Amino acid sequence: MAEPSRAASDGASGPPAPSPESTASGVRPVGRMPSAGRSLAIYAAVPTIAFVLLATTSTSSFSSIAGYLPTAAVDVSYSFLRMLAAYSLSLAFSLAYGYYAATHRGGERVMIPVLDILQSIPILGFFPFAVVILAQATPGSFLGPNFASVFLIFTSMAWNMVFGVYESLKTLPSDLKEAADTFGLRGWLLFRRVLYPACVNRLVYNSVLSWTAGWFFLVEAEIFTTNTSNALTGIGSYLSFAASAANAPKFLAGVVMLVIVIALLDFAVWRPLGRWAERFRYDTSPSGETEVSAPERDAAGRFRRARVYVTQRVRTGVSYVTTPLVQLAAFTVRPGRTPSPRRRSIIYYVSLGSILVIVWLLLIALAVALVGVYTSPIQSSVRAQIDLVPFAVGASTARIVGAYAICLAISLPLAIHVARSSRAGRVGLPIIEVIASFPATALFPVIVFQLIPYISPEGASILMLMTGMLWYLFFNLLSGIRALPPDLTEAARAYGVRGSKFFRRVLLPGIFPALITGSITAFGGGWNTLIVAEYLSSGTGKALSVLGLGQQIDIGYKLGTAGYPLMATALLAMVVTVIAINELIWKPLYRRAATRYRYD
Amino acid sequence: MALIRVEHIDKSFASRHGSITIMQDVSFDVKDADFLALVGPSGCGKSTLLRLIQGLDRPSSGRILFRDQPIDGVCKQMAMVFQSFALFPWLTVSQNVAFGLEALGWPPVRIAPQVERYIGVTGLDGFQEAFPRELSGGMRQRVGLARALAVEPAVLLMDEPFSALDALTAESLRDEILQLWQDPALPPEAVILVTHNIEEAIELADRVVVLSRRPGHVLAEIPVELSRPRDRKSSAFYDLTDRVYSLITEGRPAGAPETPLGSAGRTGEGL
Repeated sequence: MAEPSRAASDGASGPPAPSPESTASGVRPVGRMPSAGRSLAIYAAVPTIAFVLLATTSTSSFSSIAGYLPTAAVDVSYSFLRMLAAYSLSLAFSLAYGYYAATHRGGERVMIPVLDILQSIPILGFFPFAVVILAQATPGSFLGPNFASVFLIFTSMAWNMVFGVYESLKTLPSDLKEAADTFGLRGWLLFRRVLYPACVNRLVYNSVLSWTAGWFFLVEAEIFTTNTSNALTGIGSYLSFAASAANAPKFLAGVVMLVIVIALLDFAVWRPLGRWAERFRYDTSPSGETEVSAPERDAAGRFRRARVYVTQRVRTGVSYVTTPLVQLAAFTVRPGRTPSPRRRSIIYYVSLGSILVIVWLLLIALAVALVGVYTSPIQSSVRAQIDLVPFAVGASTARIVGAYAICLAISLPLAIHVARSSRAGRVGLPIIEVIASFPATALFPVIVFQLIPYISPEGASILMLMTGMLWYLFFNLLSGIRALPPDLTEAARAYGVRGSKFFRRVLLPGIFPALITGSITAFGGGWNTLIVAEYLSSGTGKALSVLGLGQQIDIGYKLGTAGYPLMATALLAMVVTVIAINELIWKPLYRRAATRYRYD
Repeated sequence: MALIRVEHIDKSFASRHGSITIMQDVSFDVKDADFLALVGPSGCGKSTLLRLIQGLDRPSSGRILFRDQPIDGVCKQMAMVFQSFALFPWLTVSQNVAFGLEALGWPPVRIAPQVERYIGVTGLDGFQEAFPRELSGGMRQRVGLARALAVEPAVLLMDEPFSALDALTAESLRDEILQLWQDPALPPEAVILVTHNIEEAIELADRVVVLSRRPGHVLAEIPVELSRPRDRKSSAFYDLTDRVYSLITEGRPAGAPETPLGSAGRTGEGL
């Protein structure tokens, strides 16, 4: 998994990215796997260095770490089985759903917007609910959490694979379709010979992303259950227990085992599959002279396809949801004189922002009222918590925005450096790619149990949020900078534009689409990480609590049945906030990026 | 007896600004052993006409008869060669050639020799296991041709089959197609070639149906009675070319800029 997978944001790559736009431009135009030998070396080097470093600084010895490896291996295999189950489900689901959505116009109208919403919701928030409900539904105590975790992983894997199938079928060249028609191909033969092969390439590529996202969620889900009576056996809970017991050798053994499994999968499964899937690409150009082998051309084609896809998707699925809201916004902006374009855009966004606030306040009020009506006796303590939900939304949003700002401050210079310096690109990038493919959630227990005394719960939760956001931004920015046409930068050089002027006039507008895509995906990742970050920061008992939606859900969860109204309200508030931010801020910005800041 | 009868075809498409009429009252016949070329400026509906004949699309009015039966759905006794080749990149050359036979439900034991035969006929021997992306444009179009011939169609439909090839490759492929056409052991009873290249049409066809600019209608049916192989530099050839060329250009309103066809026809490859 040397692919910077999550970050590349092909589809809801990581933790389900917020919107279909994200599905695309991340399709790494850089699109190049580091050579097998080099990434093998990195895979070996990273854990070894960490291993040596930590082993020497801590009191533990190598042998004590080695002693924990067998138990870690057992726990990783439990986790792996969960992943496998979720992946099989996702594969079947994506083929069926994607096929139907792509071939039935009526189905498409409903299915794609539904998927769009589904993938923008931070599913993780529903995990506590799912655990409670499925645990009640299944008599065996261990089945419920297992179903819940498989379901959660499924939600992190499926959407982006569905979009892969859907897009592959929609972009199947019309001459190939016609050729199949002229021979009267239909039914099973059509599927086996034409439709399924058409999906293979994207499906394999997106599967790599799905697995990375899946690991992230798996660990998160397992950690989540460690606060409950029946913790799932798996690598996440293993790491969590090890960290809470301050058992460094045990923890390290777990990390080493996880890295080994991920690296093994990469080398034994995804690389061979990726090579095999290459033949299913359909970019044979009509004239024999343009051979496809040139990597640059290939990358450009991928990028172009991705862009076409983005604009199409924005126009179709999304508009059903957005149009009424945007029209409402436009209606309030419109009165009287037509302001200058620049003014209008400022007014437009200000009013969008206020509408957003009003809408979510209204909806939260509605939700509170509904919950109040239907579940009659709400304990006064719960009611008091529910009253806090709007503040929790504010606090969580502020936290995400803060983490986003830090991530941007880190990833923009880093991306510029990696893109500009060939040495940094050659040496640094593969290391970053490997680090990015490791599920950061595995390190959460350390952050929570060991770092909180030093950096406060607030700091810990922001740090965890950053691990869920950073790579999306970094890899999208990197691909944006790399896709910047060299003649533009050369022209800027020729006219002596440099320094901050170059930054404002050339670089920033040039990478604007990538920045927006990266931001959308980063926010999506952020919301998903938020729940566990706040939950862990406030749920460990040792720490002071952090006000936020994750904390509210945690409180509700601990209250049992009495906490349902609180959990429901917090979840609803979160879903509404996320959708509102997507629809009212990111999508208009994205459309702007796709129309104005585009070179082709 | 006419093999194909095209009777008073209209075709229009709905667009955002109302409906656009592509062709109007198009009628012609294709006889047995007829090599027919459809020429006309771009946008006159040549390719659409080909798709209507195969049954990939339906005319807005009028009808098309194949052996006196109206075309209803895709006609499996015709096979198409595409401008863009339309090869499946995930199938090898043999698998691509076998594609139509599989669809017809041939048993594998019969498919293999048939595929071998047409791979030999089209000069693809030795490339059986290659993938389309490993082939040059000319070789890819041979695969397209082999795939179409393998189902032994009564009518071979060719939609600008040489347009995506460079001039030299196109010329040699044209020669080979003529040789295949003159071989009585090989299937198609008739060929319909769509092209915007007038020389190409006259070099290959027995009869040229000239279509006007949009909305397309038949301006003339010109028999080509030159003996094969035809010499592009002969005066008879030139006169025919000129006749078709002026037919098309006179179909345009006075003072309109030259159609791309005009220049292509005049200075196109081979001249």
